[in-house]
This record gives sequence, structure tokens and C-alpha cells, in this order.
Amino acid sequence: MRLFTPAFSRLFACLLALGALVFLSSCNDSDEPSAGEGEGGKPEVALVMKSLANEFFKTMADGAEAYQAKHSGEFSLIVNGIKNETDLAQQVALVEQMIAQGVDAIVIAPADSKALVSVLKRAQAEGIVVVNIDNKLDTEILEQSQLTIPFVGPDNREGAATVGAALAKQLENGDQVAILEGVPTAFNAQQRRAGFEDAMKKAGAEIVSVQSASWEMEKANNVTAAMLTTHPELDAILASNDNMALGAAAAVKAAGKEGEVLIVGFDNISAVQSMIREGRILATADQHGDQLAVYGIEAALKILSGEGEPTDRKTPVDLVTKETLP
Amino acid sequence: MASRRNHFLSRYGESLGLVGVLLLLVAIFSLISDRFFSDSTFHQIANQVPALAVIAVGMTFVIITAGIDLSVGSVLGFAGAMLGLTMGDGGWPLLLALPIAILAGAACGWVNGWVTVRFAVPSFIVTLGMMQVARGFAYLGTDSQTKYIGAPIEWLGAPIPGVGISWAFLFAVIVVIVGQVILTRTVFGRYVLVIGANEEAAQFSGIRTRPIKIAVFVIAGALAGLGAAFASSRLASVDPNAGAGLELSAIAAVVIGGTSLMGGRGSIVGSFIGVLIMATLETGLAQIGASEPIKLLITGIVIVLAVIIDAWRAGRMKRLQP
Repeated sequence: MRLFTPAFSRLFACLLALGALVFLSSCNDSDEPSAGEGEGGKPEVALVMKSLANEFFKTMADGAEAYQAKHSGEFSLIVNGIKNETDLAQQVALVEQMIAQGVDAIVIAPADSKALVSVLKRAQAEGIVVVNIDNKLDTEILEQSQLTIPFVGPDNREGAATVGAALAKQLENGDQVAILEGVPTAFNAQQRRAGFEDAMKKAGAEIVSVQSASWEMEKANNVTAAMLTTHPELDAILASNDNMALGAAAAVKAAGKEGEVLIVGFDNISAVQSMIREGRILATADQHGDQLAVYGIEAALKILSGEGEPTDRKTPVDLVTKETLP
Repeated sequence: MASRRNHFLSRYGESLGLVGVLLLLVAIFSLISDRFFSDSTFHQIANQVPALAVIAVGMTFVIITAGIDLSVGSVLGFAGAMLGLTMGDGGWPLLLALPIAILAGAACGWVNGWVTVRFAVPSFIVTLGMMQVARGFAYLGTDSQTKYIGAPIEWLGAPIPGVGISWAFLFAVIVVIVGQVILTRTVFGRYVLVIGANEEAAQFSGIRTRPIKIAVFVIAGALAGLGAAFASSRLASVDPNAGAGLELSAIAAVVIGGTSLMGGRGSIVGSFIGVLIMATLETGLAQIGASEPIKLLITGIVIVLAVIIDAWRAGRMKRLQP
């Protein structure tokens, strides 16, 4: 009896040969300078995103790729995202993969303000420049870990307050409103909620319900449907992102309350723009999503070249309504 | 002599095909990306797999008895919440908190097994229910918030300085080895295989099948509890959503590893190689910067291809036997 079938022996031999080949070629590679410099001395920047199935992050990634295409001589870019916004483990793995890849800088939109700190600390220890975009890492834990990671991004609280103020113009004292929160652990979710609350307090509106829909459209739809049943007098819904605003708008329509319940969102994704034109959504905030990653990449490149200080940088947020849309 | 060789072939030949698939993947990625073939990549892959690896071990036992456990991901989340309560809020050391997490997981597993056996309902449905229940408990236990634990758990999943791989990976490898020995070298393991192949025949031959069927779910639950420590150590935090979707990755890894969903046939080592194949694929695709749709397409195709190769080889193998 032979140990293997002839076909399997051949397959195995091929694999062994291939493995040996790869091993040899990798031995040659080891003479080259290792991490630190990419091909041709160009720095390599890794953009680690949240879910690329979310249009907001897709726009951000596309903006970054367009920027890289224009400046292809200055740096190279790898873009990676996670499948599901709550899959923290996958994002940690992505950062590790980028460390293994030996990139020079990591620009990250963390899916959680706390859970990513540990792996980013390891990245910094490897000499990688880390820049935080979109969702700010927890200040307390950064301090506890003796870590400085610059945050380049918008002031979400201010932005949400601006959107809330635009809604407040349509509200009367004592009107009932509800807030759809993002993932409650995320700093930007907390900030947007706080901004909405600031504006509603100022307007004298009553916040009857605050519920999380985890940034997701379908969840927002279910949560809103339930809210409309429990609070039939509801006058407005403040959604912490446009995906949830879309879900809320669908639920309001299904309940036959279109026009009675005003909706505002945040992010200015294209689907929401058409809803604003139709008057189904009142307002949203544009934090120039396509530029957010670019701002982060610019900051990282400046730090790499020794020009920039690793300090926080605030980026603009603008109000979008029917009037401001072209 | 010939029969001994056949014995070797039927037991380990199976895994060789899988190792071939794994090497092929490594070779392909090494050719595409000039930085893939490096220590740091392999360390990274190793440190990524511990939670999935131990869950796949438990899942293999369950699937060999022709059952399924869809709750392991949520049970991992629930056991993680226990770690959050004991280590985060209580300030307990890991050594004291870990048994609590493992017990919490084992308890969920026992309920899965007991309900399945006692009421003769499909484990698919029972564990689907447990998937929701355990996730609910995970949210309750964590107050739906990420809890930062920090250094007391971080060491477990972080690379050992100068070595590159983590303690978690070493422990996971030990679990795989122990699992394989239990499956192939103990009476319990034989009973598990026999029950999966033909439960009625097992009963007629005097095996008490119920305790064994419950035991495999307890093993799966307890290992999900251990997996919770591995998963939390990578985040240095307890995440209420930890493990979501992990059950499907585990099932994929187990099936890639040559374990039959019909029961009666399987290998723990195979499942582990299945886990490595999936992790290598994920890492490789991320390193070459493949877009999300491409990642999903390739991952799906490789899972099915690996199973086809395995089935084809198993067919050839059968013809070889006298």
C-alpha cells in the first residue's frame, strides 16, 4: 500500500516546491530595509474604518482614495473596514494586520472609544504614527495608558446642537421629542446626544424618549415604530446619524404620520439629501465626511515628516437644510 | 503493516489535505504581498485565533454528535460580562474570575444540552433560543456598555515580548491537543463518535447517550467561557457584543476541518486548521487591501472550495481502503 494516492502526492510535491520557493524569495527580502519605509521611500498609510457598508464611511474611504490618487507620489494607502459596526474584535485584528504589514501610519475611526486603546498602544510602541478620526478615544483611558493620540475631527456636540437649533425653530414650547442614539459606548454618539439635548433644553421641548438604534437603519425603524405607539403625541425625532433618520422616516411613513413628526439626522449622506428635498427629513449636519479621513491622513503625513505636532484638530461642521441644498 | 498504514492515512491524511490548502493560501498571499511572509504576520494570525479556536473545539464535539450550537457567540458575550462584573467592578484577579466565566458558560451549555435531551427538541432551536437569552444576559451584565479592564487581562492576549505570540494562543493550542486526545483516545470520545454515527445503535449497545449528549454542550459552553477571556484580553475590555457571529465562523471552520455536519466523523485538529485557514485568509486579504465586497466573495468561495476538496479527497480515500 502506498501512503498517498498518486494525484495527492503530486499535489503535495507541488505545494512543497511552492513553499520552498516562497521561503527562498522571502529570505532575499530580509536584506531590504524592513518596516519604516514603503517602496521607493514613500510612507505607507493604513486607513482603518468602521463598516464600509455604511455610506458615510464609504464616502470617507472614497475621499481618501481620491486624495491618494492625486498625491500618489507622496504616500501609498491601504483602506480596510469591518463588516459590522459592533465587531470590535475584527477591528483590533485589522490594526494588528496593519502593524504586521509594517505601515508607517494608521489613521483609525475606532468602533469603540475604549476597546481599541490597547492595540493602538501596541501600534505606537512599534513606532507607527497613530491618528484618531471620527470617534474620539476615551480621554481617561488614554491617560491611564499614558498615551497621546491626536484626534482630528469635528465637534459632534456643537454640530448636533446646530441641527437641534434648526429643528427648534419649527417646535413650540412643551413639544414632545425623541432621540435615536448611536452605539451608546461610542464617544460621538454621546456627544451628539448631548448636543441634541442642549438644543432641546434651550427650545423648551420635552424629551420623552432616548433609545439606541446602534447607528442602524433597520433597528431605528423598529425602535421608531415602537416610540410612535408609546408616544402618539411625538412631534420630532432627532437621529444621531442619517441611517437612523432614514429608518425613522420609513417608520413615520408606515404609521401614516408623515408631516406630523419632524425628523433630523446627522452626516449628510446622499439618500438623506433627496429626503430633505422632498421635505421628509428637515435637516442634517455635514461634517464633510469625504474629507474627514483626508484631514486625518494629512495630519499623519505631517507628523511623519516631522512638521506637524501630534495635537488635536477641529474640522468644520455645516448645517444642511432644503435651503442650503443646491 | 498495510492496515496500520491505512489507519494512519484515515486519521491524519485528512488533515494533510487541509494543511495543503493552508500552505497554498500562504503561498498565494506571499506572492501577492511582499510583506505577508513575515514573523509579524504569522504572530498576528496566531494571536487573532484563540477565542475562535477554543470555540471551534467545543463546536466540533457538538457537531460530531450530529447536534449544533448556535449560542456559543452569545455565551461568550455573557461569560465576558461575568469577567466585567468580577474583574472590572469587583477588582478580582483573572485567576479567580476565569472559573466564574467558565462556569457561566458551562451552565448555559448544560441548559442547552438538558433541554435538547429532555424534551427531544432539535439543538438548532434550543441553542437559537439560548443565543438570544445569553446575549440578553450579556447586555444586562455589562449595562450595554464596554467595560475597560486594562492591564489585569491585557497580558493574556498581547504578544509575549521577544516571542511574538500570546499566552492565549499557547493555551488555545493546549485545548486543541487535549480535545483531540479526548476525542480519539478516550472512551468518552469513542461514545461521542458512535452516538453521532448512529444513536440508536449506540443505545442498543448499552451506551447511555443522554449524559454524553449533555456533556458535549457543557464542553462547548465552558470553552465559550474560556474564549470570553481570550476575546476580552484582545480588547483589554469587556464588550457586550463580543462573539456576535462567532458561531458561524466556528461552524465554517469545523466543516472546513472535515467534520461532518451529519455527525459521526470529525477531527479537532482539523477544526483548528480550519480556523487557521480562515484567519490567514482574513489577514491576507486585509494586507493586500482588498475591498469589503471582494473579501466577502473570496472568503465564501474559499470556504466552499475547501469543503469540496475535502469531500473529493475523502471519496478517494474511501476507495483506497480494502
